[in-house]
Amino acid sequence: MYKWFAAKRVAKGIFMYALLIFIMSALFNNVNEQTMRAQINEQVRMESQKLKGMQPTAIQRWQLDRKVQLEHTYKLDRPLGERIVFSAIDTLTFNFGKSTIIKSSQGERQVLTIIGEAIPRSIILFSVAAVVEICIGVWLGLKKAQRPGGTLDRSSSFVTMILYGMPTWWLAMILIMFFVYTVKAFPSGGVHSVPPPAGIMYFLDMLWHMILPLMTLVLIGFWGISFVVRNIVLGILQEDYIMAARARGVPENKVLFGHTMRTAAPPLITMSLLSLLASISGSIIFEGIFSWPGLGNLYWIAVQQNDVPVLMGDLAITIGIYQAGLVLLDLTYGFLDPRIKVGGKA
Amino acid sequence: MSAKDFGFWLRDFWNDFKRERSGLVGLAILVLSVLVVAFEPLLLPWGEVNTKWRSIDYWQDNSASAPPAWTNAFRGEKLAVTTRLQPGKPEELELDGGVKTVRYDFSYKFSADKPPLDIIVHGLATGDVPVSVTMERPDGQVLELAQRFEQGLQDSDLRISLDNEGRESAFGFVKQFESEEALASITPDAIRSTDIIFNEGRAGMATEFKALKGEYKLSVTAMLLDPAQFKYEKPYVAVSGAVSGVLGTDNMKRDIFSGLVAGLKWALLIGLLTSIVSVLIGVFYGIISAYYGGVVDTVMQFVFQLFNGIPVLPVLIVVSAIFKPSIWFIISVMVIFFWVGPVMTVRSMALQIKEETYIEAAKALGANNRRIIFKHMAPILLPYSFASMALSVPSAIVYESSVSLLGLGDATIVTWGQILHDAMQGSAILNGVWWWIIPPGLCIAILGMTFAFLGFAMDKILQPKLRTR
Repeated sequence: MYKWFAAKRVAKGIFMYALLIFIMSALFNNVNEQTMRAQINEQVRMESQKLKGMQPTAIQRWQLDRKVQLEHTYKLDRPLGERIVFSAIDTLTFNFGKSTIIKSSQGERQVLTIIGEAIPRSIILFSVAAVVEICIGVWLGLKKAQRPGGTLDRSSSFVTMILYGMPTWWLAMILIMFFVYTVKAFPSGGVHSVPPPAGIMYFLDMLWHMILPLMTLVLIGFWGISFVVRNIVLGILQEDYIMAARARGVPENKVLFGHTMRTAAPPLITMSLLSLLASISGSIIFEGIFSWPGLGNLYWIAVQQNDVPVLMGDLAITIGIYQAGLVLLDLTYGFLDPRIKVGGKA
Repeated sequence: MSAKDFGFWLRDFWNDFKRERSGLVGLAILVLSVLVVAFEPLLLPWGEVNTKWRSIDYWQDNSASAPPAWTNAFRGEKLAVTTRLQPGKPEELELDGGVKTVRYDFSYKFSADKPPLDIIVHGLATGDVPVSVTMERPDGQVLELAQRFEQGLQDSDLRISLDNEGRESAFGFVKQFESEEALASITPDAIRSTDIIFNEGRAGMATEFKALKGEYKLSVTAMLLDPAQFKYEKPYVAVSGAVSGVLGTDNMKRDIFSGLVAGLKWALLIGLLTSIVSVLIGVFYGIISAYYGGVVDTVMQFVFQLFNGIPVLPVLIVVSAIFKPSIWFIISVMVIFFWVGPVMTVRSMALQIKEETYIEAAKALGANNRRIIFKHMAPILLPYSFASMALSVPSAIVYESSVSLLGLGDATIVTWGQILHDAMQGSAILNGVWWWIIPPGLCIAILGMTFAFLGFAMDKILQPKLRTR
């Protein structure tokens, strides 16, 4: 039963992703083709410089021929509808083409390589931050739910509201100004020192670079989580079986972690994954402040250099990760909450 | 729900709301910011900030990256504050041959320990107007600081920077006190005129500054060679100090406080417009989806899931980078992605309401679908959406500032995100220009907090399950 549910959900996710990419191709078709044509012109010019001993007219004719040939290879001579379909298929098969300016650390121009380098760095930063946030958030949320309306509950809810609209990247700026330029405790950005040290120092160095961005994300992140955890747990604590468990004399910690947390697990995991997804969607450009060379920083650079292929590839990958996250969310939810798997009608 | 019912509901709501202290704080800040927007022209130290934010001329008399004026309170050596001086009554004098002179007197009370960076004399001149500037110091010394003769002016601004044009006479002034050897080490080009003008006259003044405090009298004399045609009017003197205004200036000499006040209305507009429109769309979307059910529901749920699967900020960034949008375009794009917020909750609530007996009764009485949706379902569900309206305001504001932070905002207006973008570009973090970074972000955070206070308070009242009392 679960297999069927999982297969259906994955298929639906892939279909959604394909549809979104298709819409994206249609929406940005114009600008994509402009860049492609500019790249073709550039290529033809470069190639014709290598030709020697030809008449100027012959070179011109060769250039025109070559341009038509290249446009045919890139399918730019087809009707509009076909072009959109082909570019969508290209994007779906991770064939993002070449960047106009940005290069990977090896000096390559392939957009996929550039993005491939960025993904792990983003994932490390955001997932470590999410884990820390969730640990602190769940702990604080439980404490809050045990005494609703108490001092801790009220004061931490107050802080949650104060931080609600604070941009992560702004806090990042302030922390950098203080910790990097005033106290001089942390490096201003990047993943590694230049040159990166070898052996165990490599990881320590990375950790040292990571502390400040991590701290920023966690400082803002866990309040919201603790607030949601409090509401979920508070709802469950009012259920009859909790009262029954307490009446039976089950120790309070066991009531909290055995009875309450098991029921709260599905919504809690949903919420944790959602907060991870929200940070992909929301605080991604915060990487730019720390020059942490992940996906968010890539947006920043691509916007500044006006590198359209990288921008498009980055967007496609981000949407892909987001969709994958949503699928994963439903799968875990279905796994933890048996009622979902049956797929009853709403 | 009739207007009378709504009145009752509102009174009930207010009675509950009164007890939420944080909600009241939020309401107070919101009212305050609306008042600030309403009385903006009175509050702006630089009146034309909305149109001239990116004009270099408009800000040229300020000093660049000057800290706020109140930082003097924490400083041992006080710095001169940027001010504007207005003249006393003009004194006109008839000379022989029909020539007239107009003299404007300014008084500058200098009490800081460091001299101002520059003193700039402005005036609107028409025709051929020779203008001379002299200054009488508290110790009775008179300096002929500048003389300017420009021809063929057409009601244009005549700007005389005393720092530039007063060098020669300042150097002459130093000569009275300094020995030959001391003078050998300096040249008229290398000195800063204001360092001399506001210095105590003594040997050693060329190298060391000791403030001569007191009242400096500046007189600007314009000679009108043909009083019938030529004019010199509306003069003012800008003293550009090392500290400036409520929140200092940025590296383009712009007054940051003015920028923040001008940005408030845009932040409110972006937040409120985006959230109100998108939540209304979302609520009706959810109601319609639940009410009709069947195929309509399936299709609408699919479209909902499609939009729900798009990360908003990355799409917003790419769209802004490619279409170079106006603020209205950014708001529309945000509405397109924000409406999904309330859909699920509203749909599940609407599914329950749909089965209520009074809906059945209305149907039996022959009410059509539109009547049921707008008269019976929406009035019950809309109040619940007020909380989510308030709670989605901060994210709209933050998203717009994030886009602006990347330099993709609307270039015809001033927003807080754009100020922060300029701060990033001007490496304010590296240089520790905190008055350029902290205030704009704090404004975003405070406005976000305001709506969070309002939203959570409403949430508590409208969803009694979460009550703690």
